[in-house]
Amino acid sequence: MSDTDDGIDLTGPPQEMYKFLRDHMPVMAVEHEMMTGTSVTLHADVTTVLQNADIFSSLGAAEIGQVRPLIPLEIDPPEHSKYRKLLDPLCAPRRVALLESSTRALVNDLIDAVIDDGACNFHTSVAEPLPSQVFLTMFGLPVERTPEFIELKDGIIRPPVENFDEATEFRNMTGQKIYAVLQEAIEEKKANPTDDFISQFLDAEVDGHRLSENDVLDIGYLFFLAGLDTVTASLDCMLAYLAQNPTEQKRLVDSPDDIPAAMEELLRWESPVAGVIRVATQDTELSGCPIQAGDKVSVNLGSANTDERFWTDADKVDFDREINKHIAFGGGVHRCLGSHLARMELRVGLEEWHKRVPSYELKPGITPEYTMGLRSVDNLELVWRT
Amino acid sequence: MTQSMRVQLDRERCQGHGRCYVLAPAVFESDDDGYGLVVSADVPPELHEAARKGAGNCPEDAITIIES
Ligand code: HEM
Ligand code: SF4
Repeated sequence: MSDTDDGIDLTGPPQEMYKFLRDHMPVMAVEHEMMTGTSVTLHADVTTVLQNADIFSSLGAAEIGQVRPLIPLEIDPPEHSKYRKLLDPLCAPRRVALLESSTRALVNDLIDAVIDDGACNFHTSVAEPLPSQVFLTMFGLPVERTPEFIELKDGIIRPPVENFDEATEFRNMTGQKIYAVLQEAIEEKKANPTDDFISQFLDAEVDGHRLSENDVLDIGYLFFLAGLDTVTASLDCMLAYLAQNPTEQKRLVDSPDDIPAAMEELLRWESPVAGVIRVATQDTELSGCPIQAGDKVSVNLGSANTDERFWTDADKVDFDREINKHIAFGGGVHRCLGSHLARMELRVGLEEWHKRVPSYELKPGITPEYTMGLRSVDNLELVWRT
Repeated sequence: MTQSMRVQLDRERCQGHGRCYVLAPAVFESDDDGYGLVVSADVPPELHEAARKGAGNCPEDAITIIES
């Protein structure tokens, strides 16, 4: 467990901490090695930031070992929409629907491997391989190399080092390896194009120009990191919740039609991608607090999604919630490009798991430990009757 | 009871979250890119409930319902 100096356990569920911030310091100066700037936690401020990309730029929003701006995440409007026009159709619901049956088969293979044991670490057995394999196939990277790719994305998201400077160095080094993997795939697809993403990127035009090879690398780099860990963290959060709430768990087993609504409510409540970063392009204010040009703003999606000023019964997990316009996939122009794919993977994962494992719980003695930022649960040990 | 209902979807505001056409497929549909379209601007009474649900769940508040 990692405790702060004040004794707050940072590995537990974060919702109470979000409430504390909203009630006492909704716009707060933060100063630590990871970020110096301002954090906002009210739904109103969060949406203001997301909806005003001209004032809150996303260039510099992520420091994940990249050497050029990530596309489309760090591109501001109007440039941004050129890339989205190219990428949106590849990630649209119609395209995603074509992957559903192979995803279902994959989930079942993963469950087959553990079901007779009556126990598994859900994170490593299901939540990590599922999105990795779906994504690598779709993207055009060799699935046999999944473990290597998982190690690479972990090297960026959770560098195995002690301090911040070492982490930056480790990220930059891992970043170079990711570029090399992508470059290798580009060379291969140039020689033998198929119907995967990399081949399509190489063939695509923006404003009458072919994408440059750097463009393809910069899109690939972002997809690599955005497509793997986010779905893993979401599955972890959802299963951790359901393992501890048998009534809701039983409901999904008995009424699989309720799974889509349950999934949306758990996306709201858990907000597996807890926040995003922006950089102010001009002096402005949020809730009356001055923000200076150049300030970084940390936008807390999880807090916005549980803000009682916006939601009715904000702190109640309610699968029957009629109105649920959560922003777990962000909002405004940078709305998650992979949201349709992610929703399909999560829904199919939940459907098959609850069909095959109708009653499960946390292994006795286990308390789920959530990582920060991207909220995965590495110690998600589950047990069930065989 | 309302007599007639019209729905408008602001394509400028829409960011393609896809909530409307998933929750109310008789009222909204997806374009090729995953952004929302209105099936028919005049909504028949049996679909009023669905239209409200689709509109109410849009995270970008891109859908307006006009009842008269
Ligand atoms: C449940 C899983 C996921 C969650 C919760 C999630 C969340 C998010 C969020 C919050 C953003 C906004 C970032 C910002 O505004 O700064 C985002 C952007 C993005 N996501 Fe996801 N994501 C998920 C899955 C995926 C997947 C599977 C992919 C790709 C296959 C993906 C690709 C992207 C891309 C490319 C962007 C940048 C979009 C842009 O800047 O226009 N995401 N995601
Ligand atoms: S829910 Fe809103 S943002 Fe999403 S597709 Fe429909 S109109 Fe667009």
